[in-house]
Amino acid sequence: MRHATCSQCGVSGPLQTYFAYNNQSYCRNCADLLKFDTVPGAKPAALVDPTICARCGADNGDSEYPRLGALPFCPTCQTYVDANPYPVWLKAGLAALLALLVVALVHGRRYFSAGRQMYIGEKLVEEGKYSEAVPHLKQTVQIAPGSDKAVLLLAKAALLSGDPITASNVVEGHNHGQGFEQGTDLQEVNSLFSRVGSALEKVKKATDLNTQSGKAAEAATLMHQAADEYPEMPLLRNSLPGYEAGVAFQKKDYDRFLELEQEEFRLLPESGMAAGGVASALACKYAMTGDPAWKNKSEEMLEKSRLLSQKSPDDQKDFEEFAERTRYRLETRQIIDKPEYDRKFRSSPGQGQH
Amino acid sequence: MFFIPGFVIAIATFPGVIVHETAHLFFCRLFKLAVYDVCFFRFGNPAGYVIHERTNNFRALFFVSMGPFFVNTVLCILFCTAAFLPVWVLKVDDYLAYFFYWLGLSIGMHAFPSTGDLSNLWQVAPPLAKSGNIWAILSVPLIGLLYVLNFGRIVWADLGYGIAVGILGPLAIFRALARA
Repeated sequence: MRHATCSQCGVSGPLQTYFAYNNQSYCRNCADLLKFDTVPGAKPAALVDPTICARCGADNGDSEYPRLGALPFCPTCQTYVDANPYPVWLKAGLAALLALLVVALVHGRRYFSAGRQMYIGEKLVEEGKYSEAVPHLKQTVQIAPGSDKAVLLLAKAALLSGDPITASNVVEGHNHGQGFEQGTDLQEVNSLFSRVGSALEKVKKATDLNTQSGKAAEAATLMHQAADEYPEMPLLRNSLPGYEAGVAFQKKDYDRFLELEQEEFRLLPESGMAAGGVASALACKYAMTGDPAWKNKSEEMLEKSRLLSQKSPDDQKDFEEFAERTRYRLETRQIIDKPEYDRKFRSSPGQGQH
Repeated sequence: MFFIPGFVIAIATFPGVIVHETAHLFFCRLFKLAVYDVCFFRFGNPAGYVIHERTNNFRALFFVSMGPFFVNTVLCILFCTAAFLPVWVLKVDDYLAYFFYWLGLSIGMHAFPSTGDLSNLWQVAPPLAKSGNIWAILSVPLIGLLYVLNFGRIVWADLGYGIAVGILGPLAIFRALARA
């Protein structure tokens, strides 16, 4: 170990505890005072004792250690500093970090896909292409049913493309319709639900009225209002001829009745009920004229209605109900509406059909 | 304003400290600078350090000082990108995604260079830039920006940087990829 003497106060001590400034040596106390000297930017520099290892502090007596950079190191420390080894745990940790990164990116792929579908769906909604947006947003909601944004976008797109059932289901799937963050998106969807709910309430009333005698005109008016209130649902507008047909039936205007039922079937070609409506109108024409051609046509339409009604048990049940009344009309040539038929032959009423 | 002791932050975000110091060490080795001592993590201030040989090579000084800034930022963006959508956008209860997001933010929060690193660079970069050193000219704006932002450490600007990178980075990447 080497020693130095402070040029200021004359105190001696280990060289490595001294500082150099302007070619003079200073002890720590004097060096601290020199920090406030007037030379700008000049600072006392710590002196290095070349006989002391800078890392482990090993004293080499009077012999100097070789330097690495500016500092002296004993052979053991020099080997360590030369190698700069990464600890084994660090290598393992970094390998684990990279493995985790791969896992994270792979794990995030499905979310990226869901996010991308939402991004596309949102753009389509902004462009007013609601029905096109629905399948994209459905994919997002499948993965993220709790996402406010995805659920509200899908609900909006579904409502504005005339699909209130999907809208209702998706909102119900979000914590039973609860827990949405307040905002303009929620307000907009709430407002849409309110409008659609009002329209569907009218549809329900119209459907009920349609099963009652002498209420066809009222039912048709309500259905018109519903179709005007919710124009995004084509089914409402397409079913208007059916309701108008009810009015014509009530007025015993069977030509108009047939015309309107045919119009409804043209608009709803996959509907067994619409086909049954045509069969019913043709049966009326047969009842009025006795021309077997009308009867044959009616029976053909009834068969078509039966085939179209195979799609669901509900449709089949509806078909059985009105087919029975149509056959009665064809067999007896008596025209009676459903309530009267029910009163005569049934204990409980079914769905309306003339 | 609330006060959170630095050691609590360091413990909660220890992976970032380790990655930060590892990046320092990596660039020291890359530029063949002697490393006298390394601490990857400790319960103290600073939470980690790398003591290395001084150098007059500005490029080496720049990368050794700023290396953690780049490495931690990139790792933060990558981890957070993987977890950003389920955590922030899709609101999915996926604990693995939350773990990855914590990991990303932890690393990002320690991206900011230390005050010592920035001071060293700020002392030499502007004079070297004036003398025409290309690396200094290119890096002065970034160093200057970080030097100014460094004063915001008292209001957790370094942590704010990590959070901003962990949100805005993934968002930018997602927007770019989603358009593709």
